[in-house]
Amino acid sequence: MDSQKVDMFIMTNGKFFESHQVAQIRDRLISIDDSKWSVLQTLQFKDPTVSIIVSLLGGSLGIDRFIIGDTGMGIGKLLTCGGLGIWTIIDWFLIMGATREKNYEKLQRVL
Amino acid sequence: MSSNRNKLYFFILISCFIGYIWIFYCYTRGSNGASNDITYCFIKQATNIPCPSCGSTRSVLSLMSGDILEAINYNPLGILSSLVLVVAPFWIFRDLICRKDSFHTAYQKTEFYFKKKVVAIPAIALILANWIWNIYKEL
Repeated sequence: MDSQKVDMFIMTNGKFFESHQVAQIRDRLISIDDSKWSVLQTLQFKDPTVSIIVSLLGGSLGIDRFIIGDTGMGIGKLLTCGGLGIWTIIDWFLIMGATREKNYEKLQRVL
Repeated sequence: MSSNRNKLYFFILISCFIGYIWIFYCYTRGSNGASNDITYCFIKQATNIPCPSCGSTRSVLSLMSGDILEAINYNPLGILSSLVLVVAPFWIFRDLICRKDSFHTAYQKTEFYFKKKVVAIPAIALILANWIWNIYKEL
């Protein structure tokens, strides 16, 4: 794919991925052909900032996990009152990373 | 895929272990005659309104003493939690010993199933109904 297009993609969507993944994503995008571009543009990624806000407000009900598509963990969190309250606090720090991980998985499914 | 599976198994085993320790702690506390109303719930402490899963511990403890009706009355989700606590470790150990993937597959299937609107909306409605019941009961 055209490197200009790839750089545009990275510029607009770079914040949705972990910094160490961006270089990999760039290399991978350059190696694939142009037909994937339209699919790539339609992808919707979850914003880590939104998930941290949701985690702060509804973390003990597991809503943050449900939002990023981690339904199983969400149910676990909901059933245990946010993992005795401990998991809620741990997730305040982990949820942004988890969101970026989920975004990366989503991108990999398309590539 | 395999690292995902191992991460999930490790996480669930640790959670079950902590769950058993918590239940044991509450059980010994209860049998020592101390009051059984210790709460760790953020929502309940902050707003004095019980959360959807408040009463699960009491429900599991009642189930342990064989009183199913009281367990349902405390919180029906407690029955679900105790089912997971009993089944999950055995299932995971079986998978680990036989080098199978069945628990992971079942977990992913459940996740997929709960993402469908037909299942998700009734499930959310049930949880909300349970929550309203909890508030009504003043757990």
